[in-house]
Amino acid sequence: MKRLLLVTVGVLFFSIWALAEEPRLIHEEDPSALISDIQVIVKTGAVEEPLNKTGITNIFSELMLRGTKKYDRQKFQSNLEKLGATLGVSVYHDRIVFSGRVIKENTFEFMKLLEEALLYPKFLETEFNSLKVEIINEIAHVKNSNNRLGGLAIRQELFKGTPLEKPVVGTLSTVRTIQLNDVVRSYNNALHRANLLFAIASPFKDSQWKVILKDIWKKLPDGAQRARRVFEPKVPTEPTLIVIHKPKTSTGVLTFAQRGITAQDQERYTLGVGNFSFGGEPLVSRLFRTIRGELGWTYAINSGYGSMGGLSYQPGLYTIVSTPSVEFTAKTLFKTLSSWQDYLRKGLKKDEIVLAQESLVNSYPFEFESSEKRLGHKVYSELYGVPTLSQEEYKKIIDNIGNKEIRKSLKDKQTEKGWLITLVADKDMVEKLLAEEQKGIPTEQQLKISKVINPSDLVE
Amino acid sequence: MQFKKFICLGLVLVGTLHLEAASYEKLGEKKLFNGETVQEYKFPNGLKVLMVARSQAPVLTYQTWFDVGSLNEKLDKKLNKTGLAHLFEHMMFRGTPQYPDGKFDEITSRLGSDKQNATTYYYRTNYYESVPAYQLEKIMELEADRMANLHIDAELLEKEKGAVVGELRRALDNPNRLAWDELMRLMYAESPYRYTVLGTEEEIKGFTQEEADYFYKTFYAPNNCTLIVVGDTKEEILLPLVEKFYGKMKTQEIPKLEFKNEPAQTQEKRWEGKHPQATSEVMLIGYRVPSVTDPDAIPLSLLSSHLSQGMEARLRKSLVDKGIAVGASAGVSSRPDLFEFSVALSEKHTAEEALKVIDREIALLHQSQISKPAFERALNQELLNLYGSISDNNSLANLFGEYLMLSGNHMRGLEILEGYKKLNPSDLQKAAKKYFRKENRSVVIVRPVKKGKVS
Repeated sequence: MKRLLLVTVGVLFFSIWALAEEPRLIHEEDPSALISDIQVIVKTGAVEEPLNKTGITNIFSELMLRGTKKYDRQKFQSNLEKLGATLGVSVYHDRIVFSGRVIKENTFEFMKLLEEALLYPKFLETEFNSLKVEIINEIAHVKNSNNRLGGLAIRQELFKGTPLEKPVVGTLSTVRTIQLNDVVRSYNNALHRANLLFAIASPFKDSQWKVILKDIWKKLPDGAQRARRVFEPKVPTEPTLIVIHKPKTSTGVLTFAQRGITAQDQERYTLGVGNFSFGGEPLVSRLFRTIRGELGWTYAINSGYGSMGGLSYQPGLYTIVSTPSVEFTAKTLFKTLSSWQDYLRKGLKKDEIVLAQESLVNSYPFEFESSEKRLGHKVYSELYGVPTLSQEEYKKIIDNIGNKEIRKSLKDKQTEKGWLITLVADKDMVEKLLAEEQKGIPTEQQLKISKVINPSDLVE
Repeated sequence: MQFKKFICLGLVLVGTLHLEAASYEKLGEKKLFNGETVQEYKFPNGLKVLMVARSQAPVLTYQTWFDVGSLNEKLDKKLNKTGLAHLFEHMMFRGTPQYPDGKFDEITSRLGSDKQNATTYYYRTNYYESVPAYQLEKIMELEADRMANLHIDAELLEKEKGAVVGELRRALDNPNRLAWDELMRLMYAESPYRYTVLGTEEEIKGFTQEEADYFYKTFYAPNNCTLIVVGDTKEEILLPLVEKFYGKMKTQEIPKLEFKNEPAQTQEKRWEGKHPQATSEVMLIGYRVPSVTDPDAIPLSLLSSHLSQGMEARLRKSLVDKGIAVGASAGVSSRPDLFEFSVALSEKHTAEEALKVIDREIALLHQSQISKPAFERALNQELLNLYGSISDNNSLANLFGEYLMLSGNHMRGLEILEGYKKLNPSDLQKAAKKYFRKENRSVVIVRPVKKGKVS
């Protein structure tokens, strides 16, 4: 066994253990912790699903927690919850994360249940059918959420024909299509040694974890990680507006999207500084100060590169989202576009850059304030091959970013006009407001609604 | 154990000749489950300070809690309005003579502030930031400055009204919000809980600079305020700074809230309405219960965990697993004091179906005690939640702040947990029988204009 890394910070330790025949474990030891946080990360996700069956990964992951060979769902869950534990799962396009939390004294009992779920799920037909109904109900319920509708429309347009077109839970039609044998097959393809990573923050020693995890490891089948699949968004060349028709709203949800960046992009820090002062940081960003602070048109406005679940191997999206009062939707739209144009052409002012630098560097310790957060960084580093920077390394990078670098990165990575814009609001109202705002502009140069979508179509 | 101790800070304040103002009283020290202690202090002007010193990371959370919320404005004879406490909270970010509009946010951002924000509720308002520990002095200077020297500019007030109206409208687009507002109106005929925290658009637009000034000068006083600091600091660093920045603030007379007694409820109340953005039904049920200081709050709180925490929770199994609802929860809240059931129906099902299920579950709770394993499950789930809260600086400060404002006792949340350990399943049954009665409840149902479709 080879200990790859051991770092000591005060009384806190973390280590990463790995050998081909042993489980990969990232452990944050915190002797003062009252609870253990346990994650099992499966390095595959919804990106592997057939296009007409989006949602399989989500279903098999959820079903793993709904009955095992030894325990039916009720027994499994009640045993788990009696321990003072929770165990849930989050599915992403590139990974599945089982997250458990347990009061420390019951940690090892919890691990027995986790092992059951990972290795011996039962995939009962009754549970499968009941879960499908639950998921279908949840998908239909999204029509109640104006914020989520805008995001769905953007996915459908920019990632059409790819596995990123639909959310990981799927849509009504894809979930209806999924059969139990699809689910079992996907589970068998996903759960093997090459795909698994254990990440744990706990008050226990590495040696205690090694024994338990080795035992689980032995029982897992071998396998190979599949080649990575990356999908580029198909961005328009001119601003393109889609309205999701929702009558009688008193606010509109306005979302701008264009290509984002990957976790490995060299420009991530430069664009991070730029975005901080342009729209990323609530209260102090340029967009917030003008569109909310000066003009009072919206309550919330922000921008960022993390709208598809954080930076990853996918370029994802850069988005700007606001929720203006409905009468200010068109004004907010054009003001956002002109602010973007100004940012893209001129970058930031000196004081805006300094503000971003100071803030980012001074708040960096919060990234490591708890064992859970420290663990998160290490997992991220492991998954995407990017280093976890020390405070000094981070400061050095951020302090060396100037407007020249920001403008260059913007030029390389972003476009001035390649925006897909979605607006959740009443289409008639939007048409009227667009016309009012564009008085005097030749018709052919005006921004028009390119498509109107019914919320029901987005979830179907 | 409570004990008092006076500490003279004369050395720190040599030359100021304000020896009387330079002392604080240590009100007590309480142990937490993890061995840490929470220290409680009071300054001569009435300002209270709670501190938990921990050094796992070089950061701290700084929170300022005012014992004022939307209840006060409605009960205040000069105001008699709603929405000002919340609008005023926004104005606290709009500048002082020393730090004009935008500077507070800019400087706190430069300090590396994390999770910076403010919230207003019926009974309290809080402001909070997490900063690197070495920035304590600066964050305290900024918070004390806006507490003492806020300048309410008429033009900025008008601009901020736009953002607040935006916040209100965003809330009004949410069917759950309508359900809550109507539940409050239904449950409370007399008390100001029947009015919303955000107020109405008309009221927000109508507020004057004078009213905002009056609110500020009346309620933002040291004797109406508690500072909560959790993180990498210690008494000898924190308290001299509190003295320096808050010590000279004057005690003010705070108008007492005078509630009219809410008439006893003798029959079930119902309200039904429609929301244009809803595509499925929403139902809220509120049972009247006593306040968080009452001994019955303890079994009621554990009952809420039994009903709605985890995959094995009673409501999840009977409503979500059966496909009737997409979400179902139960919880006790204080000020307003109610036990709330909340159900988001799936499109093909009705609130009436969910109500039948809830009534059946309540009947079962009346008839028989919950099993020992179910009791243990609820207890350990609560323990897990609390351990999670204790570990995080911000969550721990919130736990203290909320209970302090609710009950005058910041340890009440932890006392409730201790109280669970003395309970047995029959106590939960007794509480269910006592409070879950039809004549003690109000039911609100919000329906879509047309099911499954936007209107």
